Amino acid sequence: MSYILFQLKRNPLAILGICILILWIIIAIVGPSLVPFSYTEMDSVNQLVPMGTDGHVLGTDNLGRDILARIVYGSRSILSVALLTSILSTVLGVIIGFSAGYFKTIIDTIFLRAMDIIMSIPPLVLSLVVLGILGDSTIFSLTLIVSVAFIPATAKVARGVLLTEKNQEYVMSARIRGENHLYIMFIEILPNTMGSIIVEATARFAYSIMMVASLGFLGVGMQPPTPDWGMMVIENKPVISQAPWAVLFPALAIASLVIAVSIFSDFISKVLINGR
Amino acid sequence: MSNIIEIILKRVGTLFATLLIMSFIIFILVEIMPGDVAQMILGQSATEESLAALREVKGLNEPLLTRYWKWISQAVQGDLGESLYMKGVAINSILWRRVGHSLVLAATAFLIFVPLSIFFGVLAGVREKKFSDSLISFFGLATMALPEFVSGILLITVFAVKLDVLPIVSVIPIGETLWQNLNILILPALSITFVMFGYVSRMQRSSVINVMNSDYIRSAILKGMSKRYVIFRHALKNALLPTITIIGMNMGWLFGGLVVVETLFGYPGMGSLLMTAIRTRDLPLIQACVLLITVIYSLSTMITDILYNYLNPLIRFEGEGV
Repeated sequence: MSYILFQLKRNPLAILGICILILWIIIAIVGPSLVPFSYTEMDSVNQLVPMGTDGHVLGTDNLGRDILARIVYGSRSILSVALLTSILSTVLGVIIGFSAGYFKTIIDTIFLRAMDIIMSIPPLVLSLVVLGILGDSTIFSLTLIVSVAFIPATAKVARGVLLTEKNQEYVMSARIRGENHLYIMFIEILPNTMGSIIVEATARFAYSIMMVASLGFLGVGMQPPTPDWGMMVIENKPVISQAPWAVLFPALAIASLVIAVSIFSDFISKVLINGR
Repeated sequence: MSNIIEIILKRVGTLFATLLIMSFIIFILVEIMPGDVAQMILGQSATEESLAALREVKGLNEPLLTRYWKWISQAVQGDLGESLYMKGVAINSILWRRVGHSLVLAATAFLIFVPLSIFFGVLAGVREKKFSDSLISFFGLATMALPEFVSGILLITVFAVKLDVLPIVSVIPIGETLWQNLNILILPALSITFVMFGYVSRMQRSSVINVMNSDYIRSAILKGMSKRYVIFRHALKNALLPTITIIGMNMGWLFGGLVVVETLFGYPGMGSLLMTAIRTRDLPLIQACVLLITVIYSLSTMITDILYNYLNPLIRFEGEGV
């Protein structure tokens, strides 16, 4: 703990990133009860009004909906989907990658080929097509499909860290003691590789946000009326020259969240890997 | 040299196997899309008899494997079928022009981000922990996971709305070609550059730092050679190698990014065509687009892989890789 504080003191940028991230989490939890407008309310008098008109702090979009309210509500879906995705894809990646690396026989060959096949299609295109075909995305389908698209990456990392640990003496002695494979994999090896896996999971969090925002932008993210930052950008893009605020604020919201998470994950990797 | 040929043959073999399985997955994926194809063609008012007749003609009653075989064997011969939404239009007549546009855009982005990120990556690496390094590293970190449409919106706001020097949308006017409208390429290509810069420059930086700390560089410097000479003659050769792999690995992001950027700017490429196909539920067009993206992507991955093997003397001369 004191080591983390020591590292924090040396990285003012990391403090900033973590503060922004915490701020967004607080906004997602308590924000909706603080904004005066609902995210669906259409103010027919104030369409496309600039910042600060009639209590619309960040202005309104072309249907007269409050931009601030939509950004605040939208933070919930993007944060929860991205968080769930990074956890799910890491867990699945660890299970698959560990099994492949541990047994090293035909399972490993099948694993490597299967990953090559999934990797032959760009993750964004894969998720886009599957979600587009299924239609009406929910938090569940969005999380599941983006996680599957990420598995090749996370599983390869997990397999790599397992292979570096596999021939250590403590694994040998566990094997001689007669422990079963599951025990060796998850009770003996997993705790020793936790650092690398946490680093992978936090980096995955940044990519999940990028991916979920892009899918929302392409219209296969959370479906209306749930506000989605990516979708707000594409909805209001045609009016960008009259009302830049309607596009710029959701874009800045994504940018600030993504950059904060990137700084955070960079810091985590410094503390957990390079720092030791 | 025979090692290289062996590697190439192996890669091409894997490529074919991968493409065959992937094409089957793509086919199944699109087939399970809810909705009846015959109903989509004839509309809601079609009678049961005419639907059955059309299914018979189109071979929709045949088993899945038969239909897959028909589709893939025609695709290999260059016939991608007809679009469902634009009735009776051959996919070949729309797709290839779009593919050309996308490749031009990708190549433009490539020409911008590769030299830029290698240059700044090397600069940051040789000035490790100095101010210019912190600045470049922060910029790379910030843009690394920034979605292309966000950087695109920022670019549009500055260059198209405020300064009004470049177009907001990248459409080609009817009757004109891309070559008469080259200025529409600038903003989309720059939006892609942002993301790629993050990855590539960071990778380049760490590989330069690695090489600069190695013994042979230290002895070259201690021997009294100028730092500039050591960097350009000794360090760069080895420090560029990992970057090639990273560029190749990120081609996937580049193709995903094309879909996003083309949608943002309305650029008439393969990505925006795929979006239209998904929106209009045009099954054959979705299959054709995804198949083609997979082929182009796999090919570029394979080329990077071969290039890496060729440039790496350890593999070129010894056969067994490290």
